[in-house]
Amino acid sequence: MKKIGIYPGCCFQGADIHNYDITTDFLNRMGVEGILLDRAACCGGGVIDETNKKIVYGLNARNIALAEEKGVDLYTPCNTCYMIIAKTKLALDSDPGLKEKINEILAEEGLEYKGTAKIYHTLNLIRDFIGMDTYKSKIQRKFEGVKVAPYYGCHVLTPNEVALDDPENPTVLQEILKPLGVEVVEGYQNEQTCCGYHARFTDPEQKERLAVKPLEGAKEAGADVVATPCPLCHKAMDGYEEPILQVTQLINVACGATPKDAFWDLNKTEVKISFS
Amino acid sequence: MKKIKYTAKIKRYNPETKESYWQDFEVEVEDSLTVLELLMHIKDKIDASLTFRAFCRSAICGSCAMIINGRAGLACKIQAKDKIKNGVIKIEPLHHLPVVKDLVVDQEPAFEKFKKVKPYLVPDPKVVPDNNKVESLVLPEEFARYDKQTDCILCMACYGQCNALEGDEKYLGPFQLTKVFRFIMDTRDGMDVEERIKLAEDHGIWECVQCQMCLAACPKGVKPGDDILELRRIAKDIGEENIATRRAKFWFATVFETGQIDKWHLPEVAFGDEKGKAVTKKLEEEFRSRGMKEDEFGPKPFPGIEKFRNFIKKLEKEL
Repeated sequence: MKKIGIYPGCCFQGADIHNYDITTDFLNRMGVEGILLDRAACCGGGVIDETNKKIVYGLNARNIALAEEKGVDLYTPCNTCYMIIAKTKLALDSDPGLKEKINEILAEEGLEYKGTAKIYHTLNLIRDFIGMDTYKSKIQRKFEGVKVAPYYGCHVLTPNEVALDDPENPTVLQEILKPLGVEVVEGYQNEQTCCGYHARFTDPEQKERLAVKPLEGAKEAGADVVATPCPLCHKAMDGYEEPILQVTQLINVACGATPKDAFWDLNKTEVKISFS
Repeated sequence: MKKIKYTAKIKRYNPETKESYWQDFEVEVEDSLTVLELLMHIKDKIDASLTFRAFCRSAICGSCAMIINGRAGLACKIQAKDKIKNGVIKIEPLHHLPVVKDLVVDQEPAFEKFKKVKPYLVPDPKVVPDNNKVESLVLPEEFARYDKQTDCILCMACYGQCNALEGDEKYLGPFQLTKVFRFIMDTRDGMDVEERIKLAEDHGIWECVQCQMCLAACPKGVKPGDDILELRRIAKDIGEENIATRRAKFWFATVFETGQIDKWHLPEVAFGDEKGKAVTKKLEEEFRSRGMKEDEFGPKPFPGIEKFRNFIKKLEKEL
């Protein structure tokens, strides 16, 4: 059985604790053993930078080192964790001096950043780690006739150096949605507009103004539901007129879980779609 | 030279009829053309009315920023053949600025905002000599603090793709905020940091959504999004008290304590008022209704947390 290190970001905590169950259920159904990186720490969330940006490199070198210690790659479903951890990997792999300094400090915890672990997010995990054929073979039922609007969220496509697909013409999410039997709604208004999540505690009104925009675009294009890989986008955009789910919540149901097992019932905006 | 065939899909705007539409131009051209050369070819051979702004052709004057396949960049710096997707290259004017004609935008609104942040050096009389016979020295390590930021060519690619502007058209903009950071870092600048930060706060740093689009857009590798985080840090360090700085302090403190941000108490602490308390209370009710026990509400330190705290302290000190 393939193994992957599950990085526990803040999206697995408190009111979002069900995201951990969604993630482990998803991995089980894909035939992947998830190994929790239990001493992992916050990626910084783009907020620790406001205290000291150098700490962010150290935190994530340590997070990656924890995966390497267990001999596994690192997987996070969160767009922001993915972007920040992938950025750290790029910085360390291209700067031997920085890597050496951080490794000196890491050594006190018995850890070492080697640079061997790959960084995965749900989208490239399915495409590159699980493989599209295996993924498709696990699907047991389909959402026939359901119109789904893919919403990538920013941090899997920007900045360019960590983008996990062509940022100008991304297709991986559509390719993951199609085998679920859905009708993919593409090219809707504001499909690339940010959900505003990261302004929630800097300027809450800004978040409110942004979150609704892609949803309105998807609704206008006739989508029954929006599908995002990112738990933060989901959190920011749930509660408006148009429903949104995480793509893993759709996949789990397509692979046999009940909607309740996939926590559809926790949505503020009810998802009313049928499956065969 | 190899010739290739493709479609240039260009967003046009006719100011006389106020009509905006996409027009397809079928081209067969050398594969070595930049997007700007492609536009020049179309203007020269197909439609002389096609209008765009360009000058140096060398990615330094900053005139030809536009949106190519949904991403902002300089037309003169980008190879057209790299941008052909399914036989099509899509070109449109920068967002968030009024279109004058076709691909030409009116840059004035962005420059007005630029002027608001006082994008110039206010010489500090304690540092800058009062006569021009003596040089005003800046040491290399002092210049390094804002060297990259001086590479900005005011092309407005970042502005034309900014998500914060999508939410608030009064938002200052990425390059404007980078400039504020650049002058705060300049050892010769005499304006109070408090004053510069104040200028950056009005429809500014707290509205940024950290989407990273400006980092992707900049043809010079400037990172306005990162500079905005630095401005927030400076605002916090000079004692600014608001929802964002309370959130940043709490975030770091709880990560230091437990390894994770405490999202349970975050609303209460960040909002710092009854409303925030109510949000935290509501979270507690939600946890209980889902059968969670109180020790599951927030993060708990993982085994070996002392070593982790030492690690953070060392990073702060030694990195």
